[in-house]
This record gives sequence, structure tokens and C-alpha cells, in this order.
Amino acid sequence: MNTALSSDIASQLIALLAALMLVVQLLLVVQRMLLTSIRLFALQSLFLAGIAGVVAFFHGAFHVYVVVVLTLIGKVLFLPWLLDRQVRRMRIAQEIEPLVNFPTSMLICGGLTLLGYIVARPFTSLERLGNNTLAVAIALVLTGFFLMINRLKAITQVLALLTVENGVMLAAVALTTYGMPLVVELGIFFDVLVGVMILGILVYRIRETFASMDTSKLSQLKG
Amino acid sequence: MSVLTLLLVVPAAAGLACLLTRSRRVLAALGVLAFGITLALGVCLLRQVLTGGAVTEWGEFLRADALSAWMVLLISTVSLATSLYAGRYFQRDLAAGAVTPGRVREFFVLTPLFAAGMFLVVLANSLGVMWAAVEATALSSVLLVALYNRRTSLEGAWKYVMLGSLGLALALLGTVFVYAAACKSNPRPLPSFNWSHLMTVAPQLDPRLIRLAFVFVLLGYGTKAGLAPMHTWLPDAHGEAPSPTSAMLSGVSLKVALYALLRFHILTTACLGSGFSGHLLLGLGLLSMFLAAPFILVQENLKRMLAYSSLEHVGLICVGIGLGTPVTIFGALLHMGYHALTKPVLFFAAGNIHQTFHTLEFRLIGHGVLKTLPVTVLCLGLAAVAATGLPPFGLFFSELTVISGGIAAGHTTVSVLVLGALIACFCGMLLQFTRILPGEPKGGRHHDGRAWDGVPAMGLLLGGLLLFSVWLPRPLLAVMQQAAGIIGGKS
Repeated sequence: MNTALSSDIASQLIALLAALMLVVQLLLVVQRMLLTSIRLFALQSLFLAGIAGVVAFFHGAFHVYVVVVLTLIGKVLFLPWLLDRQVRRMRIAQEIEPLVNFPTSMLICGGLTLLGYIVARPFTSLERLGNNTLAVAIALVLTGFFLMINRLKAITQVLALLTVENGVMLAAVALTTYGMPLVVELGIFFDVLVGVMILGILVYRIRETFASMDTSKLSQLKG
Repeated sequence: MSVLTLLLVVPAAAGLACLLTRSRRVLAALGVLAFGITLALGVCLLRQVLTGGAVTEWGEFLRADALSAWMVLLISTVSLATSLYAGRYFQRDLAAGAVTPGRVREFFVLTPLFAAGMFLVVLANSLGVMWAAVEATALSSVLLVALYNRRTSLEGAWKYVMLGSLGLALALLGTVFVYAAACKSNPRPLPSFNWSHLMTVAPQLDPRLIRLAFVFVLLGYGTKAGLAPMHTWLPDAHGEAPSPTSAMLSGVSLKVALYALLRFHILTTACLGSGFSGHLLLGLGLLSMFLAAPFILVQENLKRMLAYSSLEHVGLICVGIGLGTPVTIFGALLHMGYHALTKPVLFFAAGNIHQTFHTLEFRLIGHGVLKTLPVTVLCLGLAAVAATGLPPFGLFFSELTVISGGIAAGHTTVSVLVLGALIACFCGMLLQFTRILPGEPKGGRHHDGRAWDGVPAMGLLLGGLLLFSVWLPRPLLAVMQQAAGIIGGKS
């Protein structure tokens, strides 16, 4: 196969998948149902795994396949299953109450995405594959932060944190040759996995003690 | 196995071994044994580093230079004192019904793992692995902060883990930018992510990327190090954690995060050849010191006040490093060591006070703690004198070193500002302690046979502090000078 042609296809595929990640993020911002939010996160992780898969295929880099498999097992299957089970077992109310209403949230996230493009512009020459992948990555991080502020339930804040992490991993794919060395990827993977489990324990205890997952009730410590 | 491997294996093994036993005595003894061994290994490492330079193992995966060796000593000492103190502390908590035996075992399992994570931070050569290790320390300490399962401790733990995770996500983004710079300067597939390798190619790295990376890393690891204005989790977590955990968090965990930040500072300075990162550290350090002073003065809770005092000391360390002269960097490293010996004593004493009076609010403790808990207050008083920077304790000398080094290098304004903040914090601490220590206790309170609790741990640290304040052994002096050389870019 002609290498110039194949790298062109790879670029377009990556740009498409990155754009889809951003679309899913915006859907998350306006999502009312908790279980659907968890599935959207799984979908976003699937697109991330797809990007890593494209990179692995076109560079023939075997260690990136390991990253693909880890992402699929960890973020697409295991974490959503874990969160889903917790939501069902604790009988958490499905409805998400955001602080800022949905149209305003959407507007703010549009602004944050623009900001991502402005911040990333000086660095577009550094990108290996795909166009504007870095901009999407920064937009994901910024909207993830907004999502975290805008949600009251502890478990939706965990979900927001995970989308920020997806954004950072996208930046790693966008800027470096093949992503990071395998040992680092493994370290990050296990940290995220253990992190979500520990957050799960903490959410459970908060739920038991406060009879609620509303983090705005965590407001006794001041000064 | 050799030193670096053992430093990681021993505490991890001790933590896992604690899963197998139920006896509280065995749990406590395992902790003390493990950290006794790591302290001995730390001394071993110190000798090796001084005679043969940086030690590497596993094909450069682990690497220890003078700066790492210094941090290993601090982590071991504070962890040893913590496990000495924790046995009796939890015995009293169990007797009072404040915790369940399961939770106590959780403490003894997680604390060595927490320490093992910190050892990995200072021994890892790859910046990516270092990030993963910092995250691991954050995760292992979250459940420790939430150990009491009170409403307030859950709140403290939630803020700690959320702010910490957000900060660390930013730090990871910064780490990715550094790796991107390495990839750009060296398109050969998968350049090494090792710090020692990056230092050799530092001048060829893209300065724009490195600058951006340092800003992200500063925000990220700065959150974990408790620098203002990202410090808001610090008083909550320190105030709500069990006292042994507060001692670990304040005594070493903050400094380990600072260590991670320092590695990037050294790299950034080597790449840009300017004071960009130093100036940022200096600014945040000064801000932390000035923010700490008023909060110490108005604080109503003993452990929260101690947390703000940690903010002040971390600020001073940053100022010393930010000023960037060999003298001030040496002063900052010295301050790190003395603070690690002092702050745990204050938290241990606060733990004793908490268990006797069942509160940490100054108002409710009232006057006359001196008469109720004479030995604890003696240790508390000595450590407080040290922490406020009075002679004959070492913190006085290290603060003086930073200030005079600043003046000698022509940074008079900064030095005067530092002096002002130190005096303000001194007055605040003095005022707060005079509220509770002297005077007549409220009726019906007298000491109840627990006067000597926690004294071995506090005695060990205070003894070390006094000894090293008047006499600094030659190897320690040499290792700090070498570490200062590494930070100052003259390794």
C-alpha cells in the first residue's frame, strides 16, 4: 500500500474519531439519565480505543495494541459495568440535577471548545497524525472540568473525572509518536482502575452516612 | 536484591503481610520493623550515593541520586515514627470505640503501601512512572483520611481525592507535553522517558512545549504539595485524618509532591536556561506564606492550624528553591529535613489531646492542658518552639540561611517579605498555643495514667531534631550539598 495514502487515511480516521469523542462529551453535558451517561462514557472510551487502534495499525507498533486491549477491557467494559452495578445496587435516583441549565451549559461548552482550539493552535505543527486532535483533547479536558463543577451527585463527578482522563490520553496519542512507553501506559491504566474502585467505596460510604450523594451537603469544613 | 529494590519491596510486603494477621500488636510491630529496615537501607543508599554517584537498578528504571537519597531518609524517618505512635493511638481509639478493628487493620495495611508509593516517586527514573506513583500515593491515602467515617472526615476525603485527581490530571497533561518535546527532538521510535536521559538532551527540547508543560505540572503537583491557591484541600484532609496519617501527609507527602515538581523545575531550567520556573515557584511560595499567616491566627481547630503552618513551611521551601542560589537551595533542603522531624511531633501531641478531650476546638479544650497532659505538652511546646523558628532548633538556622542567602544574592525585597510572613506566623502560633496550654484546667480533669503515651515516637523525632540542630554529620551535609547542586543545575 502507498504509505502517503495510508497515512492520509489514518489522519482522517483519527480526526473523525476524535470529533466523535467531542460529540459524545457534549451529549454527556446535556444528558439527564445517569445510566445513559455511563453508557456514553463507555462509547467515548470506545472511540479512544479506536484511535489507538488506528495508530497501532498504521505504524505496526505492537505495544499500542496492548493499550487498545487495556482500554477496551478497562474503560469500555469493566468501569462502566462497575459504575452501572453501583448505581443499581444503591438505588440512586436516575435524574441528574445540574447547577446550570442545559442550554446555558451547552453554550459554555461551546465556548470552552473554542478556547481549546485557540490554545492548541501554536502546537498544530507538532501533531503526528490527524488534524486538530490536540484541540479536541484540550476541549475534552476543559469541558470535563465544567462537567465536574456542574454536577452535584458524587458519581457523576467521578464520570466527569474519567472524561478528563480520556482527554489527556487523547493528547498523548496526538502529540507523541506512538503514545507513551508501555510501562507508563500500564501505570496510568491501573491507577485509573484502582482510583475508580476507591472512589466507589467512598461514594458508598458517603451515601450510607449522609443518606444522599449530593456533594453540596459536604460543606461543614470551612476556613 | 539490592538497595533500591528492597526499599520498594520491604514496605509493600509489610503492607500485604498485615492482611494476614488480626493481632494489633503484630500489625504495629510489622510497621515498625519495615520502616526500621528502610531507614537502615536509606543510610546504606546515602553511603553508596556519596561514594559512587547516582545508583541505578533494573536497567536505569530505578535511579537514586543525592536528592532521592535525602528524600528516602525523610520518608523512612517519618514513617518509622508514625508506626511507633500508631500502635498505642489505635489501642486507645479501639478502647473508646472510635474505630472498628477492621478499620485499624485498614490503617496498618494502607500506611506501608502509601510509603512504598512515596519511595517509588523518589526512586523512579521515568517521569511517567513518577506520575503513576504520585497518583498511587494519593489513592492509598484517601481511605486513610476517611478512616473515622464521620461526616466531616468523609467530606475531607472527598475534597482531597477530587482536587487531588483533577490536579494530577493536569500534571499528566504536563508530563505528556514533556514527552512530546522529547519525541520531537528525537524522532527515533519511542525515545526514553527517563529523567536522566531528558537532562542530557534538555537544550534541544522545544522551549514552548516545556514552558507550557511546566505550567501544567506546577498546577498539578502544586495542588498535591498544597501550594496556595490550590491548598484548599489541605486543612480539611489534615484536620480530619487520624493523627498518624496527618503526620505522614504533612511530614513527607507534601514534600514528595514537591520533589516531583522539582524534577520538572530542574529540567525546565536546563532547557530554557532562564529563571522562568524559579520565578513561578518563588511567587507561589510567597503567596502560600502570606496566606498561611492570617489563617493560623483565626483558626479554631488545632489540627487545621497545624495544616496552615505546613502551608507556611512548604511556601518557605519553594521560596528557597525559587531564589535559586546555592545557599538558599541548601537552606530549603535543610528546612525540608527539620520540618519533617518537627511537624509529626505536633500532630502526635494533637492526637493525644484529641483523645483526652474528645475535641480539637481551642474553645472547647480550654485552658490548662499543661496540667492535664504534662509530658505531651512538653513535647508539643518544644516542637512548637521549633516550628515557629526559634533557636536553638534547626528551623531557625534553615530559615536564616534562606533569608540571608536571599539578601546576599540581592533579593532584599523577597527576603524582607519572607521575614514578615515568618514573624506573622510566629505570632499567630504563639497566640493560639497560649490559649490552651497554660492556666488551670476545668474541673474534674486530671491525668489518667496515659501520660507517657506516644512519647517514644515524639522522643525519637525531637531527639533527632535537637541532635541535628547542633551537629550535622558530615555525610548528611555532603548529601544535601550534592542535592542542592543537582537542583541548582551543577550536577
